[in-house]
Amino acid sequence: MKRRDFLKFIGIGGVGAGAGFVLGKVSKPPGAKLIPYLIPPEDIIPGVATWYASVCTLCGAGCGTLVRVMEGRAKKVEGNPGHPINRGGLCALGQSSVQALYNPDRITKPLKRKGPRGSGEYAEITWDEALKTLAANLIELKSKNESEKFHLLTSPLGGTIDRLAGEFVSAFGSSNYSHYGLFQRKNLAFANLSTMGTASIPHYDIENTKYLLSFGADFSSTWVSPVNYSNGYGKMRQGTGERGKLVQVEPRLSLTGANADEWVPAKPGTEALLALAIANTIVEKGLARDASAWRGVLSRYKAKDMASICDVPVERIEAMAVEFARTRPSLAIAGDSVSSYENGISGAIAVNILNQVAGNIGVIGGVMPNGDDLGNGKKIDFGRKISTLISAANADKIKTLIVYGANPVFTTPKAARLEEALSKVPFIASFSSFMDETTAHADIILPAHTSLEDWGDDFPDPGVAAPVASIIQPVVSPVFETKSLGDIFIELARAVGGNVAGKITAPNFAEYLKASWKGLYSRNREMAAGTLGFEDFWNKALQRGGWWGPSRKMTATVSARAGEHLTGAPARFEGEEAQYPFYLIPYAQTAYMDGRGANLPWLQELPDPMTSVVWGTWVEINPKTAASLGLKEGDMVNIESPFGKISAPVYLYPGIRPDTVAVPIGQGHSHYGRYAKGRGANPIEILPYKEDPLSGEAALNSTRVRITRGATGERLVKMEGSTKEFGRGIVQTVSPSEFKRMKKEVV
Amino acid sequence: MSGLLERIAGKLRSYREPGYYTKLDHKWTMVIDLDKCNGCEACVVACYAENNLPVVGREECEKSRAFSWLRIERYVEGEYPDVKVKFIPVMCQHCMKAPCETGCPVYATYHNQDGLNVQVYNRCVGTFTCATYCTYDVRRFNWFTYKWPKPLEAQLNPDVSVREMGVMEKCTFCIQRIRSAKDTAKDESRPVKDGDIKPACSQSCPTGAIYFGDIQDPESVVAKLAKSPRRYRLLEELNADPSVIYLKRVMGDGTSSHE
Ligand code: SF4
Ligand code: SF4
Ligand code: SF4
Repeated sequence: MKRRDFLKFIGIGGVGAGAGFVLGKVSKPPGAKLIPYLIPPEDIIPGVATWYASVCTLCGAGCGTLVRVMEGRAKKVEGNPGHPINRGGLCALGQSSVQALYNPDRITKPLKRKGPRGSGEYAEITWDEALKTLAANLIELKSKNESEKFHLLTSPLGGTIDRLAGEFVSAFGSSNYSHYGLFQRKNLAFANLSTMGTASIPHYDIENTKYLLSFGADFSSTWVSPVNYSNGYGKMRQGTGERGKLVQVEPRLSLTGANADEWVPAKPGTEALLALAIANTIVEKGLARDASAWRGVLSRYKAKDMASICDVPVERIEAMAVEFARTRPSLAIAGDSVSSYENGISGAIAVNILNQVAGNIGVIGGVMPNGDDLGNGKKIDFGRKISTLISAANADKIKTLIVYGANPVFTTPKAARLEEALSKVPFIASFSSFMDETTAHADIILPAHTSLEDWGDDFPDPGVAAPVASIIQPVVSPVFETKSLGDIFIELARAVGGNVAGKITAPNFAEYLKASWKGLYSRNREMAAGTLGFEDFWNKALQRGGWWGPSRKMTATVSARAGEHLTGAPARFEGEEAQYPFYLIPYAQTAYMDGRGANLPWLQELPDPMTSVVWGTWVEINPKTAASLGLKEGDMVNIESPFGKISAPVYLYPGIRPDTVAVPIGQGHSHYGRYAKGRGANPIEILPYKEDPLSGEAALNSTRVRITRGATGERLVKMEGSTKEFGRGIVQTVSPSEFKRMKKEVV
Repeated sequence: MSGLLERIAGKLRSYREPGYYTKLDHKWTMVIDLDKCNGCEACVVACYAENNLPVVGREECEKSRAFSWLRIERYVEGEYPDVKVKFIPVMCQHCMKAPCETGCPVYATYHNQDGLNVQVYNRCVGTFTCATYCTYDVRRFNWFTYKWPKPLEAQLNPDVSVREMGVMEKCTFCIQRIRSAKDTAKDESRPVKDGDIKPACSQSCPTGAIYFGDIQDPESVVAKLAKSPRRYRLLEELNADPSVIYLKRVMGDGTSSHE
């Protein structure tokens, strides 16, 4: 990478000189010629790469990126080494964002439905017609005084675009703007709100901890902020200090669990009780930093009583408690095996209490609260729920629905009967650039840019106990006739007219964004340091990828009232044990996440890290269980819950409890392009419709299933030959005690 | 008679002795810390993106024809609940005594002045000899000329040639990045510095497990890490003299309460 070619920036005067296009207009694709410009813009030098700083939006973590662009085409997305979230790394999903940009199955133009809903038959229309049609529909709604019957449903957007979308909805006269995503981790945020007073996820300082107790947090693949945590993990293991230890509590060994020093396969649904039993033991043994407030609350959770419920020997609970309290600093994190249950908030609170008792809150190597000192962070609105939308639709309270980014038809259980609810909505518009399962229900599609073509910003939640504000900038001109998401709202506001147009007056989203940053800049004096006014700050921020300040140490205390939220009982699973003998664990896998990665060919062909399976779904079964059912690897089975049935081939997996089966989420698409469509099965389909009444988070671990033979379908394709080394010493190890005696390499 | 045999054997040996370079310009070396690697496979995707690796599809994957130049091998020991899992990223080991180089009838694969095992695509006639000789199963063969559905081809890296049917390929240590770092250094009239070159896999790695540099430079990070007591090389006893050094994973006696 040439230093002098590094971090070119664009954005002066609102003209995207870098990518050779003018904002607010849809330009033609750069064309088939290698050098498409007669007079090349200054930073298009044939054969020389330009790097633009931006942000990955493939999940909510907000990793900073540097995108390599040559001849106006994006070549590679890399992690921005200067960005405090990811510090140079980038996960498999994030790197594949360039295959979303150049996906052969993108929606290239606005579309209008031709056939019946869900048929996928559409006719191409112009942007003008598309905007007019949608505006006419909205105007009609308004004229009938039915503004409240307009709903907007998006993925958990943040920052300036979220504000613009919110302004649009409220200026129109509606209060119905919801966010939906399968992995919003709202239980975690809610637990923090009710125990520490902030509805955000703190920074988990994995890097500096010496004992990491993870309750099913699979941060090596997709959990919350995977690149940040993995970076910390690398340093925890082999950094400058003493090597930290990882203990993983989960019924099915995840990728992170596979790296743990110890695996504690507690019974599904009892992990919160285990956390409380550990906390109680710490208090009873006099090892607590903060005991007095908790003695009463915790006394119900005696290790000897919890041991049999949790299926973890009492000696082990006690040993964990002692080690957790004595090792300084230690840290417990509440992943899916404690928080993705019907009483998930209770589980997340239990882990907060454990951290409080052990004295891990507000310390380096522990839980470091994140402030919202930029005044622009993602505000989690717990009222924005998918259930609200479903019941409104069923009660004919939605006449017009706009969907963007969220794909609830794929990510809600069949039991939610979302498709039926959508059929009652007279008019559905989608702003998606991909024909996902929800977009396939739309009457009209106004495709938005992918993030590599659009403007935006991001205020990562969780942050890193330091203020972080990142800018998303377009790195290439639009590949197809799509529009900036912000511009769609702005142009729609103009077309709707009236007070909507009166409220949203920015000429385009790039200007709106810049104005919003001007406000941010004027409110935060730290930003002004070392800059010559806003323009200078803005240009520097574009070059750097954003602005981030020094870390600040904040403290918090888990309020003793937290105890009120504990349910004190194991989480409930639907289905009688006699009929449905196995717990079902649907999990987010490295490549597909909530299903969004399934249309990217690199990710379909990326072997699953634990099973090496490609291009399909599988069900993980303990070899002993499989033997008792007469099943061998590759056999097709039905996985049946009280709510439905899917089928998948068997993968024999010793890292799972014998009473549990696990299926990765992400395949089983009925739409979503050639790479995803008609492949594998979607375990979410057979879940009960359960949403936490307080947080709105879906409960993934919530049903039992039975396994039966006789299914037909795709064969298991896996890349591995064997899981054994046959004594060849391929992955060599040293024991921790041996390691302690070794001289450390100095680099 | 035995004297003659001896002489022939001596000739063969000297031919196979990698003494034909008396001095290397660089000796590019990779160090992979298995105690950091968590098996996330970000590096695998980085290699696809950087090196124009084709996606072959489900049916071809079933025939073990996937193109990954870099794979994460995963080993599982023990039975529930005492299961131990280990990961190791494996790519071309750029052996200094590379078995693959001895077999190629057209010298398509040879050792260069930088200590790299390189593959000349235009020379390769697809005999498959090198892949058969390879100790580490890292060579990939173009059974077809693969296509990228439009507009996916816009992503292809112009610094790396797109290969055609009949050609063998494998990890190059991202030779295009090495070359471009050398060019930049030359433009700036200075030698290549430690840290100038990051192969795609190393750049992307979230845990920072992959280090790269010139082991001939005693101040380089890899030269220092190569002295680690955790150091070992893959199937070292086979004597291929690989340029990839692994640092052992710390695991084993991690029982809970005490130490
Ligand atoms: S974790 Fe991965 S998908 Fe999420 S923002 Fe970072 S690179 Fe993108
Ligand atoms: S990216 Fe790094 S941590 Fe992930 S598998 Fe590769 S070497 Fe291991
Ligand atoms: S060094 Fe380059 S070619 Fe080799 S595995 Fe890494 S990314 Fe692939």
